[in-house]
Amino acid sequence: MLTRRHILQRAGAGFGALALRSLLASDGLLAEDAAGSPLLARPPHFAPRARAAIFLFMYGGPSHVDLFDEKPALAQWHGKAIPVWKDSDAFMGSKTKNVAMASPYRFARHGESGISISETYPKLARQVDKLCVIRSMHAESNNHGPALFQMNSGSILAGRPCMGSWVNYGLGSESDDLPGFVVLLDHQGAPVNGAMNWSNGFMPAAFQGVPFRSSGEPIAYLTPPKSVTTARQRSRLDLLKDWNTRYAAEHPAESDLAARIESYELAFRMQMSASECTDLSREPDHVQRLYGLDDKVTAHFGKNCLLARRMVERGVRFVQVYSGGNEGPKAWDAHDDLKKNHDLHCAETDGPIAALLEDLDARGLLDTTLVIWGGEFGRSPVAENGKGRDHHPKGFSMWMAGGGIQGGVTHGATDEFGYDAIEARVSVPDLHATILHQLGLDHKRLTYRFSNRDYRLTDVSGNVLHELLT
Amino acid sequence: MNDAAGSQIISFDKIAVRSATERTATVPRHVRHQLVDARGKLFRLTVVLLACLWMPFANATEDTFEKTVAPILKRHCVSCHDARKEEGELRLDTLGRDFSNGQLAGRWRDVADRIRLGEMPPEDQPKLSAVEAKAVTDWIAKQLESGLSSRAHWAFQPVKKEFVPPLVPGDDDWVRNDVDRFVLAKLREAGLTPSAEADPVTLIRRVTFDLIGLPPTPDEVAAFVCDDSPLAWERVIDRLLSSPHYGERWGRHWLDLAQYADSSGFHNDLDRPHAWKYRDYVIRSFNTDKPYARFVAEQLAGDEVDGADDESFIATGFCRNGPSNDDNMGKTPEAIAQYRADQLDNVITTTSTVFLGLTIGCARCHNHKMDPLTSRDYYSLLAIFNGTQKHGLVPGTEDTNGKKVEVDPAVQIQALVERSSKVPPTFVMRRGIAANKGEEVDPAVPAVLVTEPLKFPQPDADDKSSLRRRTLADWITSPENPLAWRVLANRVWQHHFGKGIVDTPSNFGVSGSAPTHPELLDWLARQLIANGGRLKPLHKVLLMSATYRQSSQHRDAAAKIDPSNQLLWRMNLRRLEAEVLRDSILATSGKLNLKGGGPGIKPRIRAELLTASQRNKWPIVETENEQHWRRSVYIYSKRQLLMPMMELFDAPTTTDSCSVRLVSIVPTQALLLMNDEFVEDQAGFLAARAISEADDNLQCIVARMFELTVSRVPQPDRLREAIEFVKSRQTQSNRAAALTDLAHVLFNSSEFLYVK
Repeated sequence: MLTRRHILQRAGAGFGALALRSLLASDGLLAEDAAGSPLLARPPHFAPRARAAIFLFMYGGPSHVDLFDEKPALAQWHGKAIPVWKDSDAFMGSKTKNVAMASPYRFARHGESGISISETYPKLARQVDKLCVIRSMHAESNNHGPALFQMNSGSILAGRPCMGSWVNYGLGSESDDLPGFVVLLDHQGAPVNGAMNWSNGFMPAAFQGVPFRSSGEPIAYLTPPKSVTTARQRSRLDLLKDWNTRYAAEHPAESDLAARIESYELAFRMQMSASECTDLSREPDHVQRLYGLDDKVTAHFGKNCLLARRMVERGVRFVQVYSGGNEGPKAWDAHDDLKKNHDLHCAETDGPIAALLEDLDARGLLDTTLVIWGGEFGRSPVAENGKGRDHHPKGFSMWMAGGGIQGGVTHGATDEFGYDAIEARVSVPDLHATILHQLGLDHKRLTYRFSNRDYRLTDVSGNVLHELLT
Repeated sequence: MNDAAGSQIISFDKIAVRSATERTATVPRHVRHQLVDARGKLFRLTVVLLACLWMPFANATEDTFEKTVAPILKRHCVSCHDARKEEGELRLDTLGRDFSNGQLAGRWRDVADRIRLGEMPPEDQPKLSAVEAKAVTDWIAKQLESGLSSRAHWAFQPVKKEFVPPLVPGDDDWVRNDVDRFVLAKLREAGLTPSAEADPVTLIRRVTFDLIGLPPTPDEVAAFVCDDSPLAWERVIDRLLSSPHYGERWGRHWLDLAQYADSSGFHNDLDRPHAWKYRDYVIRSFNTDKPYARFVAEQLAGDEVDGADDESFIATGFCRNGPSNDDNMGKTPEAIAQYRADQLDNVITTTSTVFLGLTIGCARCHNHKMDPLTSRDYYSLLAIFNGTQKHGLVPGTEDTNGKKVEVDPAVQIQALVERSSKVPPTFVMRRGIAANKGEEVDPAVPAVLVTEPLKFPQPDADDKSSLRRRTLADWITSPENPLAWRVLANRVWQHHFGKGIVDTPSNFGVSGSAPTHPELLDWLARQLIANGGRLKPLHKVLLMSATYRQSSQHRDAAAKIDPSNQLLWRMNLRRLEAEVLRDSILATSGKLNLKGGGPGIKPRIRAELLTASQRNKWPIVETENEQHWRRSVYIYSKRQLLMPMMELFDAPTTTDSCSVRLVSIVPTQALLLMNDEFVEDQAGFLAARAISEADDNLQCIVARMFELTVSRVPQPDRLREAIEFVKSRQTQSNRAAALTDLAHVLFNSSEFLYVK
């Protein structure tokens, strides 16, 4: 029989020191174990293929038929009604007509795998052999708010824990000094739903995602006032911890009080580690250039991608990087002018994403880091307002890379118009089940009891996409 | 964003308001499951009974069910979804078919969705044929539609005259007033007992925070603890209710609902230099305990009320608080019409959620999927506001050269009024698009809420307004309105007990939560009506109750039965809201400047965080002084740059009406309380204050610091521990710095941040 230690050793590169924490914890050798810290590392259900995930969230709904799902039929039917479209598919009822719209972009095959990608993602195209492109995603809502909720928490409604919360609940944190679930926002701001997109739902608050600021201090008030030395601060915090522990013991049902204790200890360590982690000047010039930090179009998203890599290196389990914020054209929500919108957002993200894959690979981290790309839904094959595209959840594309996922493959297909996922359909719970699986968690066993019921990220469905795993 | 169980549902409600998805209005699955689970077997039994007894179905559809649908379900579904297996906690053999019951309707909707999506039956089972699937889903769709037209939902029923549950021998020991009888009756049903009264220090802290949002002074605590009179508690309540700080505290709750801010949001985030007058109006209204009918009428129709004046014009700022982008939404007639529709949508959505607890915003693009509200209802409501225009300064107005336009100094308010009785015709806008004209509608209130259409006056041509909004306001606050008084009573309850009787306080519709104490809620609503819509008598009834005075102490046995304390077997522990936290730090350090009213203040924000501040720049403040140390309700609310302390401790984002604040716990809050210069400075002031107020020995000084911050001197061993801490810190620096360290720990302690 395999011991946990064997399993962890077999799990591959990058594990070493970080896994030790998990081992010690599970053997009861860490002091915090007694305190029952919710973020304590816990052993996975089975040998994980990835120890971290980076979700590149293209908020607003990137257009599958203009990026990863080439549809020559749309050019043939351009300007004409397509037989599959129903008026009720439109989100913007009056503006979206059943008039097919050809992609304004050319597609070409790339890499050894020959996967077809549009010209908007030239640098990413060179990394195509690392990608597993899923062309048969489907989701349940055609509006941003509920669709974001579904992609993040499995439910189209607010109030469920998000994926990053589930992962940290299942595995604990590998980092002593950074949050286990970090959110990096676009410079345009947060997506709709705001912080509900990284909510812990009914789980203890310690599993909430922590957003890092996009400019200035990465986290507000990361550094103490000048008069407060580290030693002075530590002595304050030692007394505070005593007091707060006692107070929490008087109110055993309040998980918030325990979370507060945890939050101070983490905050203390974050002061050093977050500053070190977010100090991109420590990266050599060529790395900064690789991520496009020297170009104002790519600098912002590039910085966040580079940050994501640095966080993963430091044991953060789940990093979500948003492209697009706020609403409308500031996100991938190309209602009015698809080309203008996607030209911009692809230009912002192409180089940085390619850099992230290349860099992770070069460092041997791609094997243990699952990278996920996608939005809350795709876009309509028919035109909105002549040259835009409407929301479309019935069929769209996402891709995964690294973390034990096969590269250079595609999975599933939409119909000839990119309207409906028809072949090897992948639901959001299927995707979630697969992500959890790669991280060593069985989505059916990962349950959280709330109000006398066991909840799952995948609720009552979800199938791991075994055929995509290495 | 960022929610305990109650607020999860709220956020759902918020989304429902915002979105136009076909799936928005589904009852949250976990809520449905909660219902099933919380009541366990009892609920299932009810379902069985319902299924057996429930017969008032139109015969044709019942026939369809029996002949067509039931056999299909039996063939394909029931083998897993029966009493034996109950997969997914669903029993299809006995699922009730009362579609006016939101929970049941939601479960059926789910069944239809699963079948439609091909998720059920599962892969390893034979699929339904297309004909079978259609038969089932069509039947469900039809029932859902007919269920919608129902007025059966509890909140649409008239407020009932509830009889107070009788006393049982022995109840006298605990029961203090009628509120307790309602609460005790529910506790008894569940096999629970209430908690004993909290100690006096806990009580006076609790009630002082609740009513004025500040901690009690050590003198106030001592006076109450020493007052043996049976009237002591009542005297404290009366004192606090007549404090001018009551309005600052309770006005803030209203400002959350009214999405109050001092800037416009959107890209330019322009200043609203007169918005604060609305904030002050709200505070004044609470302090004078303005009758609710007047309060509502002034905010919706300040130009149409009797004795309309500056004050009532300012009140209509309620309708102008939402985000706006006046000079930047396009110049075409279509764009202007659409923008106006969007602005009015904010007014209607806010009005209906705040006053009626209805998420009618959903009906902007399509009929409401859960509540019996139609697009027609929505646009009829819009017709009521369709004659309005903005009055007073449009904030930051600039001419095309970017120069500030000279503002008429006479009109320094922000109002929404009518200038003529002629209201342009109102049309349904299909899918919410202004250019997409549907049928014309007359002003009306939602049909489901009235037995006959509300009559709107026919004004003369030369009247100054149509009186439509006044008519709406009067209808909202008429004693017959089934929603308004329940919604208001629930909000008052919510802020005293930490959670509403309906824990979706702005959604009393079918998708909202069911009340935990429906009879009590109606009883409270009647109290409000009987008191002429004044809140202070209601506060007093709640605060005088034994229910309110319970200890918050955990009890294992009770927690096993009711873990989330739905039935109030104890008081809820509550964290101070962002404003109260900051105000408490200032109050205890002795630096709080109690000056009320006037333009918003801009306290120090770290300079590096000011990059988000665009046009109306937040000043760089090196050192704060007493002009910054005013109560937090007076902080300038800039939509693009909320005060970090407010934002991190879950103050509302002001984008939407906020009826429940989240209580998030994140390390960034700890960072702020550890590192913000504000906390550091105030800790120093607290230390200095204690030194100046106490005898010159360390024990007295430390004890004083505890009294000031947490209202009690700790047990001797803990006091000794604190003194030892100061002594050991003193060896590193000096006494003042060492005491500052202790003060800082106090400001960060859970005991300081939580109200027991």
